[in-house]
Amino acid sequence: MEPPAPSLGHGAGFPMAPDPALCTVRSPVALQVGDVKTDLARPGVAVIDVALPPTQPLDLQEIVFKNSYTAFLTVRVQRRRPCDVGREGARKWVTCLWNHCLMPSPHTEAGSQDYFSVFRHQMLCDVDQVTAVRLILRQPSPVWLHFTLEELRLYPRGQQSLQTGFPSWLSNLAPQQQPENLHGGVPDPEKVSTEVQQLWVLTEMIRANQTAARIGRFDVDGCYDINLLSYT
Amino acid sequence: MAACEKRRSAPAPATGSGLVEPVRAGVGVREPESEAEFLLQAGVTSMVREALLKVLEARPEEPVSFLASYFEKLVLSGPQGGAAGDRHGQQQRLVRALWYMRLAHHSHRTAFNNNVSMAYECLSARGRRKKPGVNGKIYSELLKKICQDGEAPEEIVSSLLRKIQCRDHEAVPFDVFRYGMLSCFVLLEFVAKADTLYDVLDDGSGVADKRVCQAVLGTLEDALGASDFSVPIRYLEAGSKLGPDCLALAMDRALLERKICSSMNREEFLKKATGLFIAKVKPID
Repeated sequence: MEPPAPSLGHGAGFPMAPDPALCTVRSPVALQVGDVKTDLARPGVAVIDVALPPTQPLDLQEIVFKNSYTAFLTVRVQRRRPCDVGREGARKWVTCLWNHCLMPSPHTEAGSQDYFSVFRHQMLCDVDQVTAVRLILRQPSPVWLHFTLEELRLYPRGQQSLQTGFPSWLSNLAPQQQPENLHGGVPDPEKVSTEVQQLWVLTEMIRANQTAARIGRFDVDGCYDINLLSYT
Repeated sequence: MAACEKRRSAPAPATGSGLVEPVRAGVGVREPESEAEFLLQAGVTSMVREALLKVLEARPEEPVSFLASYFEKLVLSGPQGGAAGDRHGQQQRLVRALWYMRLAHHSHRTAFNNNVSMAYECLSARGRRKKPGVNGKIYSELLKKICQDGEAPEEIVSSLLRKIQCRDHEAVPFDVFRYGMLSCFVLLEFVAKADTLYDVLDDGSGVADKRVCQAVLGTLEDALGASDFSVPIRYLEAGSKLGPDCLALAMDRALLERKICSSMNREEFLKKATGLFIAKVKPID
């Protein structure tokens, strides 16, 4: 087995997300039965190992990656439990995501190069105090020669800082619940909204089409009295 | 009649070489031409092409009467048009400019701009003795006529005109002219839409609740408030503020206030709504 080439999974942080955790992502290793060098069949399973610094176990919030022709993903994490402190070899691997489908049809392109984001609430188990992550990639289709995940980033929990200057209307994008008991006298909001939006568009149009041309009036306060004309 | 009719020279008859071709408004000898060349020379091709383009731009409901009035105006704009008395000619020019302005809806921006420039040219030609150009007087008359025909309430029209009118003696440049025309037509459409909005708000009863009206106008004013963001973000912001759920909440909250139930009539509502619009119109200076 050739030595894995480590690459730092440290990407640039987005302005609205915390910085990804520092970790070492190894290149995918194909799992194969039999001798790797002589066996010509291409396996449809690969494993990516991600090692985290042993002294800093991570509370995982989110796993972000770019797919590259992987059909199914299983994620296993190794957790460090307080009860395991005394026993070295007793760290357990737990499956937190099982056979997550990335490509609805493995033979076709759909989802093959999409960006994915897996949150902690989507996971099957608790992902606190994680020391290692293993991603098992499956691609049953023979159409794709190589499959992997790219730009893998792990985001820890608890670093969410609210962006200052965030427009308040953006945070209201989730549809607000209509008050169930609207008063009887309230007119149909849909129709009102349509008309009001058209009024807004008309006003916006006239605002956008302002002319820079000037007539060139020289009067002061509406008066052409020669004594009042200013010299500046 | 002979001056109006020019006949194409018929092919020479086989018999009677002494007979000269009967009708020829003779300027000179004309060789027998093909039909296409004749049309081109007479200017018919370009005229018909212009007429077709105008029809396509305007998409009138009755193309035949539209074409009839188009050709009528074309004749009037010929040599005979300018010969009429100056005042009468000015009235005619006004009517023609008005006709140009009505051809395309203001949202068809290219067609509308074309028509504005044609109306401007039409108004600029001011008869033989005066210098060409559009002065404030005829500009204001045109504005008033447009608003009158649009049947907008007098008060609203005057508050808009106060902003965009020019003094009688001032020379009106084309940009100002175009802006004035656009504002008029957009105002007319705004009034029509505000009217429909009032119909929605009163639920068919004829009078709308004052609190509801104020809530809706307040939301609109809020969405129109100046924001520093670029255009796409401004549209997103307005869309989110003027969505049905936000409006429903605003109206519902307004109705919960325990004020004496009073109503706002149509004129007042229109006045307040157009007030928001006119505030955004840049005054001419």
